Amino acid sequence: MTASAPRPMTGRQRILAALRREPVDRTPVCNPTSVATVELMDLVDAPFPDANRNPELMARLAATGYTELGFDSVMPVFSIIQESSALGCKIQWEQKDNWPTVRMREPIWRDADDVRVPNDFLTHPDTRCVLDAIGILRRELGEEVAIIGKTMGPWSLGYHCFGVETFLLMSLDDPGRTKLCLDRLKEATIRFGLAQIEAGADALTLPDHATGDLVSGEYYERFLKDLHAEFAERLPIPLILHICGRTVDRMGYIAETGMAAFHFDSKNTPDESMEAVRDRIALVGNINNPETLYARDPEAVRAEVFKNLAAGVQLVGPECAIPLQTAIENLVEIPRAVREWHASHAHPHAG
Amino acid sequence: MAELADIANATIRQEIAEYLDRPVEIERNIALFARTRPLMQEIAVAVIEGDQVACDRLTRQALEEGVHALEIMDDGLIGGMGIVGIKFRENFIFVPEVLACARSMKAGMAHIEPILSAAGVEPVGTVVMGTVKGDLHDIGKNLCIMMLRGAGFSVIDLGVDTAPDQFIAAVEEHGAPLLGMSALLTTTMPNMGRTIEAFIDAGLRDDVKIMVGGAPVTQEFADDMGADGYGKDALACVALAKQLLGVAA
Repeated sequence: MTASAPRPMTGRQRILAALRREPVDRTPVCNPTSVATVELMDLVDAPFPDANRNPELMARLAATGYTELGFDSVMPVFSIIQESSALGCKIQWEQKDNWPTVRMREPIWRDADDVRVPNDFLTHPDTRCVLDAIGILRRELGEEVAIIGKTMGPWSLGYHCFGVETFLLMSLDDPGRTKLCLDRLKEATIRFGLAQIEAGADALTLPDHATGDLVSGEYYERFLKDLHAEFAERLPIPLILHICGRTVDRMGYIAETGMAAFHFDSKNTPDESMEAVRDRIALVGNINNPETLYARDPEAVRAEVFKNLAAGVQLVGPECAIPLQTAIENLVEIPRAVREWHASHAHPHAG
Repeated sequence: MAELADIANATIRQEIAEYLDRPVEIERNIALFARTRPLMQEIAVAVIEGDQVACDRLTRQALEEGVHALEIMDDGLIGGMGIVGIKFRENFIFVPEVLACARSMKAGMAHIEPILSAAGVEPVGTVVMGTVKGDLHDIGKNLCIMMLRGAGFSVIDLGVDTAPDQFIAAVEEHGAPLLGMSALLTTTMPNMGRTIEAFIDAGLRDDVKIMVGGAPVTQEFADDMGADGYGKDALACVALAKQLLGVAA
């Protein structure tokens, strides 16, 4: 907390200050993952699946996070498949009402020796699309709003390229080979991240799904903590680690990676999460998606926003990519509730 | 009543003492392993430790020694998997370890299944399982299948991206009294309801019990869709399957 309020900030300034845990005029509303909905697709005529493959449509749909919802950030990567497509995975592109998904039952690799980041990785249409969309957003939105890119971590890419069960069994049977896979895959994470920084991204979400629903906290420490610290060193803008599910048992390790923020799931309460990270990393989250944003009303959304603000969560937003059928009225309630809360609390949030 | 000390195998004793907390589960497992022969306990340990080589060897040894296949399955393989399920539910182990345990059980079942099939031994029940249309995620469903098979069910796995008519065809073909549907995506959850509606339209809803699960699915959502039950995790799925089919726990 600070004694005096900083002067009014733009969304971009607010997000970047909060990611540095510096004073802000109010808590930023941040979406490290997608806030695209079917309603928004209709509003700007940028439907899935095309909005995942056409940079003009991708940028147009992403911009609605700011223009229609009033968030302080925009996120043009609506799914987790862009790099995997460029690595050679088969993608099921789906229709307007569903996210594209990697066909993980058709793995492309079997062993660490198969891992190879292709030469055309950054010129593949599905990675190029993201880079071009970030460029468009930077030109059109200027400095008003933070543009958050996304580069997938090696653990998630391992699921996509080897298949979840094969990858997890390999981690148990041969930890050394697994670490070799991760070490080779990290080049995809770094190259795509650097390219997005060059294209104009202000921060990067780094999803790496070592979730408590699948693996232990000790696994995170053993396989990923050092790699994530390396990402924080080699990607010179704020990184927001995203891991779904129960993660409080590994938040202590995550807080030691040097990443700017951790995007946490509603399976972890704001209070216990703040206690776990002890001000060593900013937290982003954690409005529940399926039960609150998707299924309930603005009143329920407001209650969850207040709960996060009261706990001191530095950036407020949905816990993960929101359901495509989420109502706009529930989403606009997030920034509205943040402003309302700050209006009734004298001290500005220190980020 | 049997006591922990009545179990011959030290590893089994340690597993029960260290990882089981609920009195009913402690009592059930002590009763089971106190009456089983030492070789069955060794098979259970091979499952618990995810040692597929040992499980394969010990199962063959037991059959060669004349132990009935059904006894090996119930007392050794299923017994071991029961403890695995509890440890998973309580977060003592995670998915990689469960996958290894299931792989071990499969190594033993490879010797057992042909014998039981030839002898006409019926499974606990038949379940059709699949991930709903538009969803390619299957790790949760697969864990449920492993645990169901580990509890003696016969499972027809339809895989991922399963359309309502595929669920209907499988239930009819196998005469399955129970269907399980999984979804990981909030965008595909409604396809559970659409599948249930398809069963109603086909006039088959009364012939089959339907259970649902998956990370974003809740009891409330399951009730709204008209499902017969919701399972929070793989062990809950097994308990629900037994309950819906009237099988003793």
